[in-house]
Amino acid sequence: MSTVSIEPLVGHCRRESRRYGAKSKAFKPSSLNCYTNHKLVFQARSFCNFRPPKVHALRASSTTTTAPVETVESADVFFKETFPLKRTETVEGTIFIRLDHGQNNRNWELTVGCDLPGKWILHWGVSYVDDVGSEWDQPPTEMRPPGSIPIKDYAIETPLKKSSSPEGDTFYEVKIDCKPNGAIAAINFVLKDEETGAWYQHRGRDFKVPLGDYLQDDSNIVGAKRSFDKWQGALGPLSNLLLKAEASNSKASGSSTESRDLKQESWSLEGFNEELPIAKQFALDNSVTVCVRKCPETAKNHLYVETDLPGDVVIHWGVCRDDTKKWEIPAAPHPPNTIAFKDKALRTRLQSKEGGDGCFGLFTVEEGLEGFLFVLKLNENTWLKCMGNDFYIPLSSSSSLPAKSRQGLSESAQIPENNAEANQKGSISAYTSGIINEIRNLVRDISSEKSQMTKTKEAQESILQEIETLAAEAYSIFRSSTPTFSEEAVVETEELKPAVKICSGTGTGFEILCQGFNWESHKSGGWYMELKERASELSSLGFTVIWLPPPTESVSPEGYMPKDLYNLNSRYGNIDELKEVVKKFHEAGMKVLGDVVLNHRCAQYQNQNGVWNIFGGRLNWDDRAVVADDPHFQGRGNKSSGDNFHAAPNIDHSQNFVRKDIREWLCWLREEIGYDGWRLDFVRGFWGGYVKDYLEASEPFFAVGEYWDSLSYTYGEMDHNQDAHRQRIIDWINATNGTAGAFDVTTKGILHSALERCEYWRLSDQKGKPPGVLGWWPSRAVTFIENHDTGSTQGHWRFPSGKEMQGYAYILTHPGTPSMFYDHIFSQNRSEIAALISLRNRNKIHCRSKIKIAKAERDVYAAIIGEKVAMKIGPGHYEPQSGAQRWSLATEGKDYKVWEAS
Amino acid sequence: MEISVIGTSQVKIGKTDLAYRELGFSDLRGVGKVFSANSRVCFGQSTRWRKARVRFALKAVQSEPLRSEKVSVSARRSKSHDRVRLFVGLPLDAVSDCNAVNHAKAIAVGLKALKLLGVEGVELPVWWGIVEKEAMGKYNWSGYLALAEMVQKVGLKLHVSLCFHASKQTKISLPDWVSRIGESQPGIFFTDRAGQHYKECLSLAVDDLPVLDGKTPIQVYHEFCENFKSSFSPFMGSTITGISMGLGPGGELRYPSHHRQAKSNKIPGVGEFQCYDKNMLSILKQHAEATGNPLWGLGGPHDAPTYDQSPNTNNFFRDDGGSWESPYADFFLSWYSNQLISHGNRLLSLASSSFSETAATVYGKVPLMHSWYKTRSHPSELTAGYYNTISRDGYEAVAEMFARNSCKMILPGMDLSAEHQPHESLSSPELLLADIRTSCRKHGVEVSGQNSSASGAAGGLEQIKKNLLGETAVDLFIYQRMGAYFFSPEHFPSFTAFVRNLNQPELQSDDLPEEEKEAADSLRVSSESGVHMQAA
Repeated sequence: MSTVSIEPLVGHCRRESRRYGAKSKAFKPSSLNCYTNHKLVFQARSFCNFRPPKVHALRASSTTTTAPVETVESADVFFKETFPLKRTETVEGTIFIRLDHGQNNRNWELTVGCDLPGKWILHWGVSYVDDVGSEWDQPPTEMRPPGSIPIKDYAIETPLKKSSSPEGDTFYEVKIDCKPNGAIAAINFVLKDEETGAWYQHRGRDFKVPLGDYLQDDSNIVGAKRSFDKWQGALGPLSNLLLKAEASNSKASGSSTESRDLKQESWSLEGFNEELPIAKQFALDNSVTVCVRKCPETAKNHLYVETDLPGDVVIHWGVCRDDTKKWEIPAAPHPPNTIAFKDKALRTRLQSKEGGDGCFGLFTVEEGLEGFLFVLKLNENTWLKCMGNDFYIPLSSSSSLPAKSRQGLSESAQIPENNAEANQKGSISAYTSGIINEIRNLVRDISSEKSQMTKTKEAQESILQEIETLAAEAYSIFRSSTPTFSEEAVVETEELKPAVKICSGTGTGFEILCQGFNWESHKSGGWYMELKERASELSSLGFTVIWLPPPTESVSPEGYMPKDLYNLNSRYGNIDELKEVVKKFHEAGMKVLGDVVLNHRCAQYQNQNGVWNIFGGRLNWDDRAVVADDPHFQGRGNKSSGDNFHAAPNIDHSQNFVRKDIREWLCWLREEIGYDGWRLDFVRGFWGGYVKDYLEASEPFFAVGEYWDSLSYTYGEMDHNQDAHRQRIIDWINATNGTAGAFDVTTKGILHSALERCEYWRLSDQKGKPPGVLGWWPSRAVTFIENHDTGSTQGHWRFPSGKEMQGYAYILTHPGTPSMFYDHIFSQNRSEIAALISLRNRNKIHCRSKIKIAKAERDVYAAIIGEKVAMKIGPGHYEPQSGAQRWSLATEGKDYKVWEAS
Repeated sequence: MEISVIGTSQVKIGKTDLAYRELGFSDLRGVGKVFSANSRVCFGQSTRWRKARVRFALKAVQSEPLRSEKVSVSARRSKSHDRVRLFVGLPLDAVSDCNAVNHAKAIAVGLKALKLLGVEGVELPVWWGIVEKEAMGKYNWSGYLALAEMVQKVGLKLHVSLCFHASKQTKISLPDWVSRIGESQPGIFFTDRAGQHYKECLSLAVDDLPVLDGKTPIQVYHEFCENFKSSFSPFMGSTITGISMGLGPGGELRYPSHHRQAKSNKIPGVGEFQCYDKNMLSILKQHAEATGNPLWGLGGPHDAPTYDQSPNTNNFFRDDGGSWESPYADFFLSWYSNQLISHGNRLLSLASSSFSETAATVYGKVPLMHSWYKTRSHPSELTAGYYNTISRDGYEAVAEMFARNSCKMILPGMDLSAEHQPHESLSSPELLLADIRTSCRKHGVEVSGQNSSASGAAGGLEQIKKNLLGETAVDLFIYQRMGAYFFSPEHFPSFTAFVRNLNQPELQSDDLPEEEKEAADSLRVSSESGVHMQAA
């Protein structure tokens, strides 16, 4: 994930009490003073550079088509090649942040918008007045615009909506109501572009918009603001800005992530409207065509170089005499506008083409040279090369080589139609050239060894390794270009397995989970002991698995900010109590899941820069165990293999020592505590393949991962088709090789919309199957309607109130593995839930039971499961058809009914 | 940042050259293993704008004569099962219906991996519905040519399967113009008793009827083959070593007897006879009248079960006293299977005459209708057009037809074994396979193998190995099929092990006394492939 910061800018303006409008465009020229409009960046991914100029997207994203290259008429042209040039162009736009009042003066409205195209998401949270740290909190529900998704317990993601100004400019914005209640000190946010995955931050930090209750608590707020290093109100908004701008202009760091800190005042009744430049990189395709012609009279070669790159292009070139590709300056005369560069190369400015973009150059090279080498230079920092190497144009006039090799060399040049394919081939070999280089080095090392026997053996190893690398490469491309998850394939593999086989993704297939805690459980101080008393009761209700809270020492009382993994004394009880509760559940015949947090871990010590990234306890990792792409924590590991959790250092699972330690830890938990399996926290944060590794090592009876991200919404309304969302969850399960199930967030989201808005038709997808993960991969879907994050006292995404039983009627009759939330079990719904669980067990509904949707209409949804159970939810009418089976009503409640076949 | 990138790349060049020098040195020693490593490196290096290519070509020149010898020898030796030539199928949709190469990058990388693994070549399905999509006689080979080029560059062989059928799975249909004709005359398609048309391939009854805008399907297929031959002439015999002629549904010589199987049902049913299109019926009627039983020519057996029913559901296939043993059934089944064999004969003779002057071998695929094989009547085979029962060998005539056209036979399902089939289906893939292979041996038809499914049946690779390394050799095996699953961590490692095992069956790496021997042996394999690669 890349982090792009806002470019600092002196001359940006801030207007007061102005609605965002066309002026933002008028404002643009001032930004040109500060930095060049077009910034070209060489792309490090070398394999991109060789594709034919036009890349059509065909079915799969990775498809490369061979675009026909123009045939050259002239007979004496012996080489013509078009090299695609991949570069990125930075397009600039504006982020505007406006705080003004809505209809009544008491309500402030914060508007954040952007005028660049993209799939913008506002990732935000608030700071409360009495907060001491810099961590975010989730805003109160009434502040959240529709379509907001809670991200863990500290943030909200709200998509920006597309709208257009009266002048017709399109922009994206989101409005947040800020109730002046004095509790919220500031709104923090970053802007995320889902298209590119880029985060737009502020000097690597969050945007912060201070709020305060002007009417009630003025003095207090100002004081608070001072302590937050905010600006004095007396300075006034405008001077604020200028000062701030100067301060931020000291971007001496030289890195590309300079940005300006933005701080704003909110107590001014006029509000403000601030605009910040934003730069987004778009990939652009250009090409350079080189055409070599032999002049029959002089035996000289004429090279014609032509490109559609805009602006001034300098070609930095030379020739070579043999295959060492040693640059030389050819004999004069040189073309006009040529200067020599360190007697190694020449630099020629290409001539602009008349009446159009692009430029060209004509070079004459004498006979007897082997090749023409060049790179293109756009400005001091931007060079365009050919797959990371110099462009090399063979000149066929060399006579120093055997004829055969020359033929091989110019073969493709003689058949211009084949160039496209050849090009492609070129890109292909470039693709793996890195690997091959390594192997070549290996071979070289080997050849210096004395034992020839070892040499061959190791070389063989290296071949195998390369094959593996290639296969992995091919796998990832094929996989990403498979349009959707193939449903039938799953059905087939499912069928191959006998239904009772135990695997960690499904348990026996007949599991029913109980989440044995809520967000407040830590407060009792002895939760394990309390829960212990419930063991036999839960078992008799029909639960087979209990999920216990995170057991490790943690910075936060709830346990999700683990510190020392081997310290199992938590707010829920000490290690002995934990063992006791596990034992008790085992006696009751239930399996026990441990809640393990593998994505992040809180450090105990600071590094030399004062950043908390050195761990303590038995696993005293240093900053090599922390991913490198979260600037907060200055990790020295590799980039994260997933999304980052911002509140703590994210663990770099690509490190062997980290994985070894985690494997050992999990095995220790299995042995020492007796856990049977895992509930894996925030698995979005790292690659599912690592989970596979951990599960294969710890061999759990059951494992389920929390892969929670946002569903798709259009204009605040949830889309009917959530295939992309469930695909992401499926992809994760796939990455674990099916060794873990995943919480079916998709189903929960769809149930929300269906029940809340009386849109029961949503419960059938386009193919007449359940629309969640359970419709595609039922055996790995762990269905739930609530957990400690979504419900409990956090309520980040609470199930529609009063409709919980409809939700349970759905998940307890459907395939997948249902998981019930503690609060619901011990509520007035208890007996109804018990009836549903016993019905599920009685009819042996399991995670792969067949389901047929009988009705999915506005006000009623009905389905028949395993030909033994019929159910309906919703106020509408449904009765199962009596045919082969006779149906009798088994249980019912508000807006739901379940029948059994007799 | 940009500057540092340039710096790195220069360093890389330096390294490359150094490596070359080293390699050149090791090459002089003539150690096969090192040579193979060397060739592999060159292969990665075949970028045209690099000098490396030149050096590489030089080596190719040296090794060319060597290689041609080897090929001819191995062609001679193929009967004495030296080693199985292993091919891997390319994705069915390797070329999209607008003639672009799908997943080109993935395929390219995959080809390299296969090459390094020592696989002989790849199989490429060439679809009628893509090449001759728009109008009769208007061929577009561009996508396939591009692929052939890719394959050639990597130095693999190519086995082309000409597909005159459609594939629902990959949404490849028959040519648009054929489908249009089919809309107005559904009689050109196979039809079942309920009158449902099977629109994924033309009925064999229209082979010689001018139903396609005045031309017969045979003529159209023939022109297709001729055009293929001329378009791919640069590859014929060198890169393209084999051509499978599409013979019916799924490319196999059979009736589409099982196409309406309910998916939920694990146990395959018996299938249905497909003799109800108007042309089939009229041929049947003529035939019945000619043999003096006009009443037998009115349709198929009235007491046959439907697609997914079991043999005992109705009277026809019943083990005891089923009507399949009646004189009527013998009349019908002989006619039904002979129609299929004549159809196969028409296509294979067409193909073998078309491709006779090329060095490519012509293949035809025969299905492995293994369910219900352990019943007496073999219902699945009967409905598919093979009159093979407990009392009659139906594959003799088929093998004889293949021999007549000097074609080799591809048999799918070499990965299947009875123990992984649902017990109730009374299936025996192994016995049926042995049955067919016996007939082939009798008529001197060489057998090639293929596995049944892309998703890999349980124990499949083991079973394949058993089949390939048995007493009777298989000269070629086509492994299906490259794709995400193929390269997935669940599958690819076992495939790698399979290939290595196949090439050195008697040498288990663990129980070798000396490392040297092992290394040297596997060397032989990869160095040979290295030579092929260079020459290509």
